[in-house]
Amino acid sequence: MSTRPTVSVLSAEGKPVGSAPLPYVFKAPIRPDIVQAVHTGMAKNKRQAYAVSEKAGHQTSAESWGTGRAVARIPRVSGGGTHRAGQAAFGNQCRSGRMFAPTKVWRKWHVKINLNEKRYATASAIAASSVTSLVLARGHRVSQVPELPLVLSTSSLSTPLAKTRDAVTLLKGLGAYPDVVKVVKSRKLRAGKGKLRGRRHRQRRGPLVIYNPEVEGAKAFVRAFRNIPGVETCSVKALNLLQLAPGGHLGRFIVWTDSAFEALNEVYGSSTEPAALKKNYLLPQATVTNADIARLINSSEVQGVCRAAKGGALQKRGGKAGVQKKNPLKNKQVLLRLNPYAATFAKEKLGSIKIEGKPEKVYTVGSAFKETLNQD
Amino acid sequence: MTVTFSREPLNLVNLHSRKYSGLVNEKAIGVVPAPNGGVTLLTKKDATKHSNKPASVINSTTFGPNTQPRKTYAGIVNSTAKKYYRPDLRKAAVARASAIKLSQRAKKDKAPAKPRGKKAVVASS
Repeated sequence: MSTRPTVSVLSAEGKPVGSAPLPYVFKAPIRPDIVQAVHTGMAKNKRQAYAVSEKAGHQTSAESWGTGRAVARIPRVSGGGTHRAGQAAFGNQCRSGRMFAPTKVWRKWHVKINLNEKRYATASAIAASSVTSLVLARGHRVSQVPELPLVLSTSSLSTPLAKTRDAVTLLKGLGAYPDVVKVVKSRKLRAGKGKLRGRRHRQRRGPLVIYNPEVEGAKAFVRAFRNIPGVETCSVKALNLLQLAPGGHLGRFIVWTDSAFEALNEVYGSSTEPAALKKNYLLPQATVTNADIARLINSSEVQGVCRAAKGGALQKRGGKAGVQKKNPLKNKQVLLRLNPYAATFAKEKLGSIKIEGKPEKVYTVGSAFKETLNQD
Repeated sequence: MTVTFSREPLNLVNLHSRKYSGLVNEKAIGVVPAPNGGVTLLTKKDATKHSNKPASVINSTTFGPNTQPRKTYAGIVNSTAKKYYRPDLRKAAVARASAIKLSQRAKKDKAPAKPRGKKAVVASS
């Protein structure tokens, strides 16, 4: 496409009120492998250290009884007067023993991810959020959304958004509310201990609303959305892959405010212009602009400069190697190609003609010779 | 063998596969029951213009409850397979429409049991 595609900017009712050029990030290659790898690393960076007690399983003065007492040489609890005395201790196989390879708080909890890789993943996730099928495949209910990427004109709002009630009507106007309904319906009690640890419920993720913090009223904007189940807000200047591709799955449903959408070029730049807000950062470029290779090969540009296929009908059918081998004994055409005489042979029925005349007499061994041979 | 299902409206056999997916194919056919009886045919509009417009990408035609089954199937086939729009899905589309039609038929009341032998004597007296 020679002209840059545009995206319509929608009013709160979902009607187009203007258009904006598509920022270059949306042309970034969609790389699920990079997104997954970066997500795995990033998801680990919020972990808290845990370990078993350093002392666990070692709070006894057990010693081995040595050999000769017909019991295993494992350390045994000393003393008497209690059942514990004489029981094996310390070993990972022992009751009340220490665990095998006790966990330590100095495990490597965090993962370093290369900055360029992180940026690639974020750009990829943003690009994927504009592909309807990916967003649908992630499970977002976007079939009533007029357009993706979904850009909201905040200036067309009569009053700056500050109330949750208004935010809900806004989402309804944009056709984004079915996604919230999905979240509300999906709320389930979590299985397991997580319930006691502040993770009582599980629910799906709804739309992600991305705003520009430099626009006035951004704080109130965030407050308006924060009590709607599943809806998250994020600043364009601090996009987070954990929100853009939850679970490492591409295609989050994103609602952009127009100011945030316009800021994307400033934040990410293009593949030729470095981003203003990053140091020397150029967006990754797709290796192939058109991934439809069959279309490329069959295009008039490629076909026009190709010479005609060599060889006759045989090669057209896929060359020598591509032709299916036929059995000349069963396939008449192949037989004729190999043996042109076969036609006459069959026509004159030469194969079934009886031999005329008396057959030549077969020489037999004379009795005199036999007698001489069999003499003692 | 595990089978993965799909619930997309544009999936004729509810199987998660390349052929029947309504998400990956630029052209796809869906047959769904219409809200007040009958069958609705869904197709996708030109992908070059509508691929990023989820709300307007789907074309729908409803064959009402009074449309005869044969007319319904003919309507589906005439507007899709016969126009070179996913001719590979012709059979699946008709089969799905047929199944929907069958499910919408009024259920016949069960014929009352005819008692025989002793039960008949007891019933008649």
